[in-house]
Amino acid sequence: MRIPILELERIVLVSIQVDLTDNDAMQFQSDLVERVAKIEALGVAIDITALDVVDSYMARVINDTANMVRLLGAEVVICGIQPFVALTLIEMGRGLLGADCAFNLAQALEILKRRIAKRGDTRFIEDEDV
Amino acid sequence: MNTAFQRLQREHRAEILTDWLQHLAAAVDRHSPHPPGLDAQRESLFDAVLTTLAERPNAHDFMLDPDSELGRYLNRLVTEQARQLASPSETVGSLLALKQRLARALLALDLSSDAVVESLLWLDRLFDALSLFAFKAFVDIRERLITEQSLSLLELSTPVLKLWHQVLLLPLVGVIDTLRARQVTERLLEAIAEHEARVTILDLTGVPVLDTSVAQHLMKTIDAARLLGTRIVMTGISPEGAQTLTKLGIRFADVVSRATLRAGIAEALLIVERRIAPLNSERQL
Amino acid sequence: MSEHFATERLPIRSMLDIVTARHAARELCERLGFGKADQTRIATAVSELARNVIQYAGEGQCSIADDSQGTHRCIRVCIEDHGPGIPDLEQALCDGYSTSGGLGAGLPGTRRLVDEFEIQSAPGATRITIALIKRG
Repeated sequence: MRIPILELERIVLVSIQVDLTDNDAMQFQSDLVERVAKIEALGVAIDITALDVVDSYMARVINDTANMVRLLGAEVVICGIQPFVALTLIEMGRGLLGADCAFNLAQALEILKRRIAKRGDTRFIEDEDV
Repeated sequence: MNTAFQRLQREHRAEILTDWLQHLAAAVDRHSPHPPGLDAQRESLFDAVLTTLAERPNAHDFMLDPDSELGRYLNRLVTEQARQLASPSETVGSLLALKQRLARALLALDLSSDAVVESLLWLDRLFDALSLFAFKAFVDIRERLITEQSLSLLELSTPVLKLWHQVLLLPLVGVIDTLRARQVTERLLEAIAEHEARVTILDLTGVPVLDTSVAQHLMKTIDAARLLGTRIVMTGISPEGAQTLTKLGIRFADVVSRATLRAGIAEALLIVERRIAPLNSERQL
Repeated sequence: MSEHFATERLPIRSMLDIVTARHAARELCERLGFGKADQTRIATAVSELARNVIQYAGEGQCSIADDSQGTHRCIRVCIEDHGPGIPDLEQALCDGYSTSGGLGAGLPGTRRLVDEFEIQSAPGATRITIALIKRG
C-alpha cells in the first residue's frame, strides 16, 4: 500500500487515507523524503484525518518525517488530527507530536504559503528569474 | 376484617378527613405552594388507607404491594412531593399525622380494651409499612432527579459560543471535579474540531476552585487543542488561581493568558487579524 | 444487560495483526456503549502492546473480553507472549525508558490511558491485562 504524494508548485501534499501497518509507514517516510529532496520542496503538508489510532510508534514516524523534511529545507504542517487522537496522544505523554498543526489541508496550505513568503530563498529565486 | 376500623370508615370518615386536610394545609403546605388536585390525591390515599385498615389483609406480616390501590396512591403522592422539593420528613410527617388522628378516633369509639390493643397494633404495623415505603420511594425519586440534573449541568457548564469567524469562546462554569473534568475536556475538543477555530478563548472566570487535577485536565485540553490546530487564549484566572497554579508547579508555558475576557477577545482578534473600530472611524488598512 | 459479548481471541504474528487487534478492541468498546474518547484510548493501548509483542517476542496472542458487571460496563484486554520477558519492570514503566530507540512512552503511556493495568513478566511468559470501566 503506497501513499500517493501530490505536488502543488513547490509544496508537497500527502494525505494518509488508510490505517498503516508499520512497513507502510516506513515506506511512506522514505517516499516522501525522496520526493521533497528531488523537487527541492519549500513546504510539506501531511494530512492524517483518516488515522483513528496514532500510537507512540506512529507519532514517532510522523515526528521523524517532519524533522527529516525540515533538514531538507522545507516547512512542515500536520493537519486533520482527530480530537480524540489528540487527547490520547497528550494522555500518553506530552510532546509526542511536536510539529505545527492545522485543522485541514486548506488551512495547512495557508500557513505554509505565509511562512514560505517570509523566507529569504524565495526572494532570491525571484531575483534570479529576472 | 376489623370491625373497629369499619365503624370509623362508616361513621367518622368525613370528620377525620377534614381534620387531617386542615392540619396539612396549616402545618405542611405553608412552606410550599398548594398545587391543585393535591387535596383530591390526599383524599384518595385516605380512603385507600381506611379500606385497607378495615379489610385487614395479612395483618401479621403486612407488606405494602406497590401495585395495590394503596401503593399506587401513596407512590403518586410521594412523587408529587419529591418533585416539589419537599423534605422527606414532611412527606412521612403527613402520614404520621393521619396515624395520630386515626388512633385518637379509635380510642374515642368506646371499645373493649382487647379490641383497642389489637386495632392499635394493626394500625401501627400498617403505618410502619407505609412510612418505609414512602421513604424509599422518596429517596428513589430524588436520586433519579439528581442524576438528571447533573447531566444537564454538564451540558450547561460547557457552552460553546462562536464569537467570530474561526474564533470560539468556551466559558467554563462551576466547580469541576475530576470526573467532570474528563468529560469537559472531551466536549471542548470535539467543539473545537467541529468549528475548526483558529483561536479558542478559554474563560475561567466562572471556575471558583483551581486544583491540581483541574489544572492538569486544563493543560491536557490546551495541549490537545494545539495538536488540532487552534491557538488557545486563557482568560479570567483569579489571583488566587494564579498563585495556586504556580505553587503547584504547573506552568502554562507558551499559552497566552489575559486578565479579563475583554483583553482575551482583543488578543484573539489580533491573531485572526481583525479589530473592533468605531462606526464613524475612517477605514484604514 | 447480563448478556455478555463473546470473548475474541486473536493471534499476533504480523504487523497486520496489530491493526486487526486494535480494530476488534475498538469495535467491542463501541458496542459496550463507551464514548469515542474511550474507544480511541483502548485502540491505542492495544496497538502499543501488540507492537511490543511483535518487536520483542515475535509472536503472541490477544484476548478481548466483555467483563461488565451489573451496571458497570467493562472491556478487558489481555495480551500474552512467550518471549524473553521484560528484564526490569520498574524501569520499563518509567517515562523515557526505551530499549528500542523509541520515545519510551510505550508502557507508561499505555498505563495512563486505561483504568486498570496489570503486568506479569518472566522469561518465557509475559502477560499484560488492561481494562476500561464505565460506571453507569
